[in-house]
Amino acid sequence: MTLKRMRFLQEVLDFVGLGGRLHMEWISSAEAQKFAQVVTDFTEKIRRLGPNPLHAFIQPDMILRPRVVAASGLKSTAAEKEDAKGSLPFTGKQ
Amino acid sequence: MKDQVKKWLESGTVDIFLGMKMVDGHPLPHAFTLGNISDLEELVPGTVRYPLETFAAELAAENPDARIGLAARECTQRALNVLSLWNQAPTDRIETIKLNCCPSPLKEHAACSYLDPPEAGLFKKHFGIDNAADPEAVARFEPRERFSRWMYEFQKCIKCYGCRNICPVCFCEDCSLEHKDLIGTGQLPPEAPIFHLVRAVHMAGRCIDCGLCEEACPADIPLRLLYRKVNAVVDDLFDYRAGEGEQPPPFNIIGERPSLEPKPMENGSACPQR
Repeated sequence: MTLKRMRFLQEVLDFVGLGGRLHMEWISSAEAQKFAQVVTDFTEKIRRLGPNPLHAFIQPDMILRPRVVAASGLKSTAAEKEDAKGSLPFTGKQ
Repeated sequence: MKDQVKKWLESGTVDIFLGMKMVDGHPLPHAFTLGNISDLEELVPGTVRYPLETFAAELAAENPDARIGLAARECTQRALNVLSLWNQAPTDRIETIKLNCCPSPLKEHAACSYLDPPEAGLFKKHFGIDNAADPEAVARFEPRERFSRWMYEFQKCIKCYGCRNICPVCFCEDCSLEHKDLIGTGQLPPEAPIFHLVRAVHMAGRCIDCGLCEEACPADIPLRLLYRKVNAVVDDLFDYRAGEGEQPPPFNIIGERPSLEPKPMENGSACPQR
């Protein structure tokens, strides 16, 4: 039942364009290697997908933003460039 | 229809009949009783819709003995099925008169306000989602474009709660959409897309596809399309269609249903004999 519920949620999220960011896997407490592999794979997948586009919308000044967000204009503001920097903690200066 | 209602009221088949009454040229929901039987002259079938089953459920809850009559469309019938599954409407005390509604190959002429929806403008078609599109067409957009288009639609929301208030199958006393721990309350625009997705998920296995939410929406958000997709996923995964049959909705069931009979206990003890 949980599997089906997750499938449901995955499909609904995919329909609004946020697909691929939800994953469920059954891992026993004895399967440390599988756990590490699944987490690594999923991390890689999320890295390839890039930062969550939703982040650009949930901001206090949302009402002042232009209503129409063209697909290419999603990562244009200074605040989002800042976010993009912050989302890669294991590169560069650190 | 008027004669039928009159007969019902006079013979006591129903104590109260809910239908649309023409008031100053506008059809409005009205309760016809023996006391105001002269009002029956203005009872109209018409194309205008209102979820009368909501009133019926409320009246039935307040008056445990009242028998209620209802001018019912096909969506009304589906809504009554859902409400009775959720123990919100006693269908044994509700009588319905079927209205001509929902066109099919057998009857082309149907009276429904949804049959002639306004056409989407160019701007909406370009940046948003056409309300008349089908879910498959929307799914064919690139994910990034799909997201942008949905967000364009959701951002128009003025949080009037019209979709929830008109919904014939929304009956919860405490609504998640007004819960301060679940959704940011008191701010405009609402948290998109959480606000809309929460409602979409709650419509799963419940939405009867009447389209009243979309008609009520002042921002013209394609809600019916979204809920149709959500219900298609439920149908796909659980083989469940809301408003049909007697099955409880799939999201009400916690865990798997037991498929094996419990093993009978021997000698009154659950422990195996050693």
